Amino acid sequence: MLASCVIFSVRVMSDVLAVNAVHLTKAYGPLTAVNDITVQVAQGEVYGVLGPNGAGKTTFLRMLFGLVRPDSGTLEVFGRSWQRHGVTSLSGVAGFIESPRFYPALSGRKNLRLLAGLDGGDATARIDEVLDVVGLTDRQQDKVRGYSFGMRQRLGVASALLRDPRLLVLDEPANGLDPAGIRDMRALVRRLADTGLTVLLSSHDMGEVEQICDNVTIMKSGSVVHHGTIAALRELAPEQAHRITTTDDGRAAELSRARGLAVTSVDDGLAVRGPQKEIDALVADVVDAGIALRGLTRGETPLEALFFMLTESAAAGPSAGVDTPAGARR
Amino acid sequence: MTRTRTIALASGLAVAAVGALAGCGQPDVTKSRLERAIGPAFANLYVQRADLLGEHGVTVTRIGAAPACDRGGPKVPDVGPGPDWICMIHFIDDHGQPQDGKFEVQVKADATYVAGGPSKLIGQATLTDSHGHDVPNPVFEFDGAFDPDN
Amino acid sequence: MTTTAVPAVAPAARRRPGTATVLRWEVAKLAAQVRSRALLIGAIVVPVAVVLIFNTQLPPKDTIYGRHIHTSGYAVPLFVLAFAHQWVLPLLAALVAGDIFANEDQHGTWKTVLTRSVSRTQVFWAKTLTAVGFNLLVLALLAASTITTSLLVVGTQPLPGLSGQLIPAGHALPLVIASWATAVAPMLGFTALAILLSVTTRNPTIGVAAPVVAGMIMQLVSSLGGLDQGRRLLLTTPFEAWHGLLTAHPFHAPIVTGAVVSAGWLAVCLAPAHRYLRRRDITGG
Repeated sequence: MLASCVIFSVRVMSDVLAVNAVHLTKAYGPLTAVNDITVQVAQGEVYGVLGPNGAGKTTFLRMLFGLVRPDSGTLEVFGRSWQRHGVTSLSGVAGFIESPRFYPALSGRKNLRLLAGLDGGDATARIDEVLDVVGLTDRQQDKVRGYSFGMRQRLGVASALLRDPRLLVLDEPANGLDPAGIRDMRALVRRLADTGLTVLLSSHDMGEVEQICDNVTIMKSGSVVHHGTIAALRELAPEQAHRITTTDDGRAAELSRARGLAVTSVDDGLAVRGPQKEIDALVADVVDAGIALRGLTRGETPLEALFFMLTESAAAGPSAGVDTPAGARR
Repeated sequence: MTRTRTIALASGLAVAAVGALAGCGQPDVTKSRLERAIGPAFANLYVQRADLLGEHGVTVTRIGAAPACDRGGPKVPDVGPGPDWICMIHFIDDHGQPQDGKFEVQVKADATYVAGGPSKLIGQATLTDSHGHDVPNPVFEFDGAFDPDN
Repeated sequence: MTTTAVPAVAPAARRRPGTATVLRWEVAKLAAQVRSRALLIGAIVVPVAVVLIFNTQLPPKDTIYGRHIHTSGYAVPLFVLAFAHQWVLPLLAALVAGDIFANEDQHGTWKTVLTRSVSRTQVFWAKTLTAVGFNLLVLALLAASTITTSLLVVGTQPLPGLSGQLIPAGHALPLVIASWATAVAPMLGFTALAILLSVTTRNPTIGVAAPVVAGMIMQLVSSLGGLDQGRRLLLTTPFEAWHGLLTAHPFHAPIVTGAVVSAGWLAVCLAPAHRYLRRRDITGG
């Protein structure tokens, strides 16, 4: 189950919403990709959009970039819309959809020069700087057809930074990267968010979203299933699950129930769920009872568990979500 | 509309437009246009032939070429391109004798034609010129064009 | 909560780049392709080979001016023109124009270029002008190479005209150049046709092959009798308009009609292509 997270960073107070999408709908023939979604992001906010494949997240981002025309609804970015302002509505917005694509016959630098030319202004002056930020300075003269996947992702971030954006939109930027690449990408996004940039980030990892996002929208099958802050989500979420492996699972289960923990048998041990304090006490009990503790691991995080609950249930409409005042609107 | 249907519709309209105009107005290839073209062409080329042979006094006026073209047999209308046009050209040859040359003419739809003449009257494909060289006979077989609008 | 120097209202948009800038980069992209460099070199080199080869052959009498290829150096470019317009010129027109839009789909780069600060209309016109300019350059190189090689190899003998007359060398050269120049209008028409197919089918193979096939079909149909006025609407007919320059009493109506018809094809192909590009959803890449 893949999740995607769009993260907007909340840093600066402003009257104009960075993204104001109201009742957006898009259908391709019989398939409804996006069904009446409303997403509102304030400037400086870190907003997450999470959802399995086919949830409509990428379609939503394509509409934001003007690549796809919505069937109905309005979409404004910094107060400008495609209908009224055309490509000017992308002023201050940068990012990439799915994995970034470049011209394979041109070098990385030449691709950036081309895109800087299409940006106008002083974008060309920033080329060296952005190449340095993403760490591609020594490969800039090589043709893009020779780049690895990770290098192309980085070049995509560089091409976005060329525009000196106020809203950075990244569709699953860690997708396809090795662990080192993922770590670097997260650090980069963190750095950018800290400068006040509004960052729109797509990620599979709910754990990652927990760390970076303030607000989250969860989508499933084109509809919004939940809006809210991370804090509010945590309150909704079940407690952290743990997996415990012992030499005497039966006795361990009794001890767990005595502590008031929910216990289920799983393949190689027990799954217990409950407050962290009680789990710690259980470990002491098990040892005191002379049972050897072979393993204690954390299961999925509470938010991951909540996410699976929300997206595995029958199709939920927008009313199933909770609109918290601090998160969705300003 | 799906893409295939749009393309099919557009092509259909295009074909209909061309077809609708087909046969409208005058045909391009007509007997009179061919005659007005082939007469002077033959005369000019016959003069060139005379110059190559070193003969004097052969001019277009003196040749007095008068073509009469017909397509196919009497039953075939004298319009349209085809390989079956015959032009009988009455002219005065380089010895002052009146002649009637039968030219087989292939007329193409783009208002050009290829004409081949009777070797008994005008010579073979090559001639020996006045300097003794073998040169192509300009009037043996020739290309020409005429105005399809006038 | 940190406040940075972001103004409270949406700031004014920066000045957008002009279409000339987009054009410059389209030319740069085209120049980086092997295909375009090969075409330009071929446009110079292939006519040399063709002229040299035909110089050793018996005159091909089935094509107009074929019989005169040893008679006059001015006749050879006319023969090449008569021969090339059947499928070579439409192919040359389609090779770049049929690919210049579709290859963005192939590389998935529409989403890259359309998310900057230039509009789809600017991109459309930049690509169209690039294709047109390139094709005109190819035609010019082809003509120049053919004419120069022919004059050097065969000579500057007087040119036989299409009314049996002989055209002296001084008059022949401008007529030969003018004959090649009449190919510009239908070349532009085929460029526009290739662009339309490239934009709507998003397939570079169809964009290149379909105009050639269409040209051959039009050629075939026009060689049949009976079309008459309908023939003037076909895009291959303007390629024959130069015949009127070489008769004893030149006539220019086919050249004018040909230019008007080619302009019509240009408009009929480019308008829907533009509209299609503006309205389509970019879902790939």
